[in-house]
Amino acid sequence: MALGVFLSRCGGRIESALDIQAALAGVAGRASVVRVLDDFFDAGVAEGISRDIEEHRLDAVVLAGHSEEHFAKSLSASHLRDAIVAAGVNANRVAAANILEQCALAHPDDVAGATAKARAIIDVAATRAEMAEAVEGEMIRPRSSVLILGVTAEAVVAAQRLLRLGYSVVLADREDGSKRAGRAFEMHATTSYVLDHPQARVIDSARLQDGDGYLGDFRIVLESADGLETYRVGGILLARPDHTEWVSELRQHFRVDVDDAGFARSLDPAMHPAETVDPGIMVMPLRRSDAQQVDKVAAADAAAMALVLKLSHDTVVHYRDTSAVDTALCGGCATCVRTCAFGACSISDDGFSDVDIRRCVGCGKCVVSCPVGARDIVSSPHDYLLGAVRDLARAKVEGDKVIGFLCGGCGYPAADSAASTVAGRGVGYPSSFLPLRIPCGGRLDALYVLEAFKVGFEGVCVYRCREGHCHNLVGNLDMDRRVNLLRTVLRSRNIDDARLRIIDISPFEGEHFIHTLEEVYSTIGGLANGKGGPL
Amino acid sequence: MSKPTLATVSLGGCEGCHVSLLDAHEGLLDLLEAADLVHSPFSGDEEIPAHVDVVMVEGAITTEEDLRRLHAARASATTLVAVGSCAVLGGIGGLRNLSPVAEVKARAFGDHVTKSERLPRLRRLVQPLSDFVEIDISVPGCAPETGLIVDALVAAVSGNEFSFGVRNLCDECHREKRALLEHSSEFVSDDVLALMELDEIDPKRCFLEQGLICMGPMTREGCGAKCTAANVPCRGCMGPSRLDYEQGAKTIDALAAVLPAGGIMYMDDLIGTGYRFSMPVSVFPGALDHEGGDDD
Repeated sequence: MALGVFLSRCGGRIESALDIQAALAGVAGRASVVRVLDDFFDAGVAEGISRDIEEHRLDAVVLAGHSEEHFAKSLSASHLRDAIVAAGVNANRVAAANILEQCALAHPDDVAGATAKARAIIDVAATRAEMAEAVEGEMIRPRSSVLILGVTAEAVVAAQRLLRLGYSVVLADREDGSKRAGRAFEMHATTSYVLDHPQARVIDSARLQDGDGYLGDFRIVLESADGLETYRVGGILLARPDHTEWVSELRQHFRVDVDDAGFARSLDPAMHPAETVDPGIMVMPLRRSDAQQVDKVAAADAAAMALVLKLSHDTVVHYRDTSAVDTALCGGCATCVRTCAFGACSISDDGFSDVDIRRCVGCGKCVVSCPVGARDIVSSPHDYLLGAVRDLARAKVEGDKVIGFLCGGCGYPAADSAASTVAGRGVGYPSSFLPLRIPCGGRLDALYVLEAFKVGFEGVCVYRCREGHCHNLVGNLDMDRRVNLLRTVLRSRNIDDARLRIIDISPFEGEHFIHTLEEVYSTIGGLANGKGGPL
Repeated sequence: MSKPTLATVSLGGCEGCHVSLLDAHEGLLDLLEAADLVHSPFSGDEEIPAHVDVVMVEGAITTEEDLRRLHAARASATTLVAVGSCAVLGGIGGLRNLSPVAEVKARAFGDHVTKSERLPRLRRLVQPLSDFVEIDISVPGCAPETGLIVDALVAAVSGNEFSFGVRNLCDECHREKRALLEHSSEFVSDDVLALMELDEIDPKRCFLEQGLICMGPMTREGCGAKCTAANVPCRGCMGPSRLDYEQGAKTIDALAAVLPAGGIMYMDDLIGTGYRFSMPVSVFPGALDHEGGDDD
């Protein structure tokens, strides 16, 4: 396994806060290539990394710098990832080591701590890149059709752009679509164009009854006055992100991030206002009722463009995130079937657990519920998470070590956004807080918490989505139930269960993240049996 | 060519594994055909002979005397077979690891401290054999199926490999699952009940669906699912399919999303349910911060 580690100075923001060479000391011995670059997003960097991959035949790559979240949402970052994959590294063996938002920017006043933490984070990412199973992507020819939920002036404008580009469009409205299509004078021509277009259909009184699939190939079942009808589309545009019924119907089948009002939310309001957690689902950048026509049109253009950017390729790749089931271990107990909120798990005729790849969102709840470990999530394998708990415990940071299991839907982005809170006040939070990203609170195995206490963490924090916000519907509630039962286990071993905290958070709440962390640190020292205690 | 020799030793257990072996009846003849039994708890000699080909050890390490005899057995044996959940997992006696030794003795002997002084010194923790010596063959179960013990011993004296399945018990269990196979966000049962709370238990249907805690999913197959066939939920005596997946934690992981967690019986005895046979091989094999052992 040849490993390449590329560290971005992030425009100088890294070295002002930590010692880059010391942070790389851990991987230096195991990597074939270690390079420090000015910035991943400078011209020529992707080509340079690709050359290194080909020359040194690299199998695994660590990108130390920006947060993993950045790679999930930024177009430039996905371009870099695509280049790495094109150069021959399996997509599952590219790991981001977040030494910027949750390290350099988080501890501006603690160089030693930030350096030790960065070293641990880079080591863990290297382990992840080396041990992750290679995944085979499924090549999909994206369907050139789009489903738009909610007929509004913006929806009609977006539909017009898509129709002009040769896409067919299904417009679904909860009431009477053609009435709501915007008959105002300036909209008249656009509305007529869309409603009369042979490639456009308007479905009135529509409800979303079922859905599965992913970018390029969705299957949606709508119920309307005409009964149930199935549509196959390449992408979905939620034109009414503020329509909680559409949102909750979508959320039964796909991952959609919501805010406190239950409205659908984009991944990155500043740079990618239409993109969501699901790469095939866009939201209309949220409109205000008093918006000017020009703003509505701009929003519609942004949403249409976001869809076209995804769909205008010969092929798009879908990576299956659940491993095959190990039939030597699976006894068909079916705990996974009932645990899956999306109906993706079932017991097949041969008595083994089986996953419907079109319904699986990769949350990992079935992996946790499997009592024999017969299945895994390839992007966050069990052995990696357990090993990461042990590796992070070895970080040479000062003070009480606390591990943060950060849900990728809320806690992890919240910790990222805490970087700007830190910048605002100039004081970091303790560098002995060591983050570990999990795809969902529901991916938290009781074994990881027990292991964390065993290897010497003073505290375990689990940051989870607020009630009703979990992308995986009930991942946070399942985690609550597991953790609360686990408290009994901790108490039976004389470990103060106040060392285990569940903290509610939303993706943009950096301030709240720091506030809760301070609260944890102010109390943890006085509790019984930290560091696993003497047995 | 003389026959291989066989010895059996009983440490911190209840002799139930030996009884299970005796349950083989005529089956013992096959074993004694293949090997000479040179030592056992019933043979009258205190110490195991200096060299024995196969030694079966029952029981966990609970006293210093257990440990001394285990080392003697290991030194003597070419092949050491750990039989029963006490030997393999620490067993049911391991639940005492949650209490200080002084409390354990007070509970067992009351004020009769003099009695405990005449007994071997209790160690602070009950531990499985594998914490101290290398084990060649492991046969869990409380007690293990007679057939499993005989097969293991016959394999050992014949120099053959011995293994059996590692799927969970549901693989062997005859009970039907219906609700568990349905896609639904509801729990499979409205509540969690104790066995005696049900007027009638459907003999054909999965216990979990009837609101009874069954350790089947968290437990290794190999016993033939006799308890569930006799309308009694699995208690987990075979231990986990993989030792790194501790039964207690996985009980929580597996059941919290399918049954209401507030189930009275389970909450009241979460530890006794999830760790009944495998406390000593769990991540935390006992409670932290107790005073030392017997004489401290």
